[in-house]
Amino acid sequence: MENKNIPVKPAKKTRGDMLHERMVLLGEIKPEKQFNKKKFFLTSVIILAVIIAAIMVIQFRLNAIDYYESVTYGQETEAAVEAATLDEPEVIEATLSESVSAAGVSKPQDYSFGPFYRAGKLLLIIAACAYAFYAFIRLIAPKRRKPNRSVWGDFGIYFMLLCVAIMMVFPLVFSVGASLKPLDELFRFPPTVFPRQPTMDNFSDLFVTLSQSFVPFSRYLVNTVFLTFIGTLGHVLVASMAAFVLAKYDFPGGKTFFSIVVTALMFSGYVTGIPNYVIMSKLRMIDTYWAIILPAFAAPIGLFLMKQFMEGLPTSLIEAAHLDGAGEFRIFWSIVMPNVKPAWLTIIIFSVQSLWNTNASTVIYSEAKKTLVYALQQIQAGGIARTGQAAAVTVIVMLVPITIFILSQSRILETMASSGLKD
Amino acid sequence: MKSYLKSYVHLKRDAFKYNLAKAKRMKVCYLFLLPYAVLFTTFFILPICTSIYYSFTQYNILEKPEFIGFQNYINLVLQDEVFLTSVKNTLVIAVITGPIGYILSFLFAWFINELPKWLRAIAVVVFYAPSIAGNVFYIFSIIFRGDVYGYLNSFLVEFGLVDKPILWLTDPNYMLTVIIIVILWMSMGTGFLSFVAGLQGVDRSMYEAGYVDGIKNRWQELWFITLPSMKPMLLFGAVMSITSAFNVCDVPRALAGYPSTDYAARTIVTHLFDYGFSRFEMGYASAIATVLFLVMILCNKAIQSMLRKVGS
Repeated sequence: MENKNIPVKPAKKTRGDMLHERMVLLGEIKPEKQFNKKKFFLTSVIILAVIIAAIMVIQFRLNAIDYYESVTYGQETEAAVEAATLDEPEVIEATLSESVSAAGVSKPQDYSFGPFYRAGKLLLIIAACAYAFYAFIRLIAPKRRKPNRSVWGDFGIYFMLLCVAIMMVFPLVFSVGASLKPLDELFRFPPTVFPRQPTMDNFSDLFVTLSQSFVPFSRYLVNTVFLTFIGTLGHVLVASMAAFVLAKYDFPGGKTFFSIVVTALMFSGYVTGIPNYVIMSKLRMIDTYWAIILPAFAAPIGLFLMKQFMEGLPTSLIEAAHLDGAGEFRIFWSIVMPNVKPAWLTIIIFSVQSLWNTNASTVIYSEAKKTLVYALQQIQAGGIARTGQAAAVTVIVMLVPITIFILSQSRILETMASSGLKD
Repeated sequence: MKSYLKSYVHLKRDAFKYNLAKAKRMKVCYLFLLPYAVLFTTFFILPICTSIYYSFTQYNILEKPEFIGFQNYINLVLQDEVFLTSVKNTLVIAVITGPIGYILSFLFAWFINELPKWLRAIAVVVFYAPSIAGNVFYIFSIIFRGDVYGYLNSFLVEFGLVDKPILWLTDPNYMLTVIIIVILWMSMGTGFLSFVAGLQGVDRSMYEAGYVDGIKNRWQELWFITLPSMKPMLLFGAVMSITSAFNVCDVPRALAGYPSTDYAARTIVTHLFDYGFSRFEMGYASAIATVLFLVMILCNKAIQSMLRKVGS
C-alpha cells in the first residue's frame, strides 16, 4: 500500500518559535532584522577585499623601503670589513654612495615613514582578522537566535574560545613540527614552528635505533598490544558484570560498595603504588604482565561510568525477561550488554588510553617485557643527540589516543551524559 | 535507657536477619559482583589498609616491619623540611590548578555548547587532546628551555624583553609557575567531557520557560537554570579535578628534573616516590601516602558540601 494521498506536513513550529513570535507581538523583545545570509556574505567579501588591497599597497611601499635598506646595509658590512683593514673613513662613505647608485635604487621619498607604514599594516591586518571572525560567527550562527543573547557577548565568547583553542593546540602543533625537522633546523636560532624542509628522517632514525636494540622493536609493540587487549577485555567484562547488579538490583551491601568505588576514583596509581608493590611482590607478580593487567581489570572509572549508564535502562525490560524465564546471566549477556553499547565503547577507550600510556616502570624489569611507551621513553632520555627521535616518539605516543578519541567521540559523549554523581 | 538499648539491639538484629535472608535470596548478585570485588579489594582497598598499617612501622621490604607507633608522622612534620616544602608546593599547585582548571573546563564546555554541531566536535577534540596525548608535555621542556634555542627564550631575546635567557626549569623562582601553566594546559580532562555531555542533556523547555519568566541574559540563565540541572556532573567533575590537582607527579618530574633544584618543584607524590622507590623506606612512604589520602578525602567532602549550594 502506497500512501501518496497523505499531504506533506508543513514544517512544524516549535514551542520556542511560537513563544518568540508572541513576545515580539507583545513588545517584550525587539523584532529581529531580516538576516540575509547571501547578502551578508557578499558584503563581507567586498569589505575584506578592500582591506586586503590596502594591506597590499602598504606592503608594496614597505618592500621598496626594505630593499633600499638592505642594499645600503649589505654594502655597509662589506665596506666595513674593508674599512677596518684600510682604516680610512672617507673611503667607506665613497664606496657606500657608489654602491647605492650602482645598484640603481633611488632613495624613496617617504623613507622616514617606514614605522608608520608598519603600524598601519599591523592595524589593518588585525581589523581584517576581526572582521573575518565576526562574519564567520554571523554565518555559522543558527538562524533564530535565542532571545536573550547579545551579539557582542557571542563575539567576545567566540573570540576567547578561539584564543584559548590556539593556546591548546600550539604545543601539539609544535611537537608535530619538531618531529618533521631535520637536525640542523632543530637547533636553529630563532627557532621556527614549521619546518622549512620537512623530512621523515626522525621517524626512520627512530626505527633504526629501535631495530638495533637487543630486544626487537616488534617485541615492545606486541607486549603493549597484548597488555592493552587482555586488560581492556577483562576490564569490560568484569566491570560491566559488577555494574549490572549494582545498577539494577537492590541487595544488601551494594550501595556501600559503590560509594567505596566512588571514593576510590580519587586514588591515583601513585598513591597506592607502594603498598601495591608490596602486595604484588607477595603474590609473586612483579615482573609479570599480571602486575599491569589485573589492576587494570578493577579500574574504578569503568565501573562507575557503566553503572551510571545502566541505571538509565528501563527496569521493565529486565522484569519482562525475568517473566519469560531468562536467567540472570542470560539477561546480562543478551539484553543488557547490547543495550549499553556506547558505555562499553567508552570504557574500552578509557582503558585502552590508560594501558597504552603505561610505562609500568616500577613493576616490570626485564627488557623483553617492557611496554612500547617505556622503550620509547628510554630513547627520549637519550639526550641532545636524540632530540629529533624524541620528538618523533612524542608524536607517535600522542597520535594513538587522539585518533581513537576522534573516531569514537559521539559514543563517549553519550555515555558521559549519565556520568553525574548523585548525593 | 536499658529498654531503649534493648529495643535498639533487637531492631538491629532484625534488620541484620532481614538483610541476611535477602542476601541469600539474591546470591546471584554477589556472584556477579565477585570478580570485580576481589580484584578491587586486592588492588585498591588492601593497599590503602596496608599503607595505613605500614605507616606505623619501619619497613624496607627486606626486613620484617617493625612497629614504631607515630614516629613516622612525627618525623614527617618535625624533621623533614623537604616534606614541608612538598606540602607547600602541592597545596599551591592544587589551590591554583584545581579551582581554575575546574572553572575553565566548565566555562569552555558551556561556550562550546552553543556552537554548531560540526564545530563543537572539533572544539571538543582540541580542548580534550592535551589531557590524553600521553607525554606530549615533554614539548614544554623545549618551549621553556634554558638556552636561547628554547621557543620562549628566543622570543623574549628577539624582542629585547630580556637580555639573557631565563632558566625557566632550573631557577626555583620560575619552576612552579611553569609547572602550573603546563598543568592548567592539561586540565580539561574527563570532567570536561562530562560537562559537555551534561550540557547537551539539559531540558530545552526549561530555557523556554526561563525566557517567559524574564531571564535577561546568558549569565542569569547559567546561574538559575543550567547550573542547578548540572549538579551531578559538577560533583563528578569536582572529584576528577581534586584527583588531578593533588596527584601531580609526572609533569614536575619530566620538566623540572627529579630531584629538582632546591626541591622547588617537589610535590607530595614525588616525595613519596623518592622514599618508596629510591630509598625503599616503605614505612615512611606509606605515612606520606596516608596523609595525602586524608587531605584528598577532606577536600572532597568540603567541595561536595559547597556544590550543594549552587543555584540556590
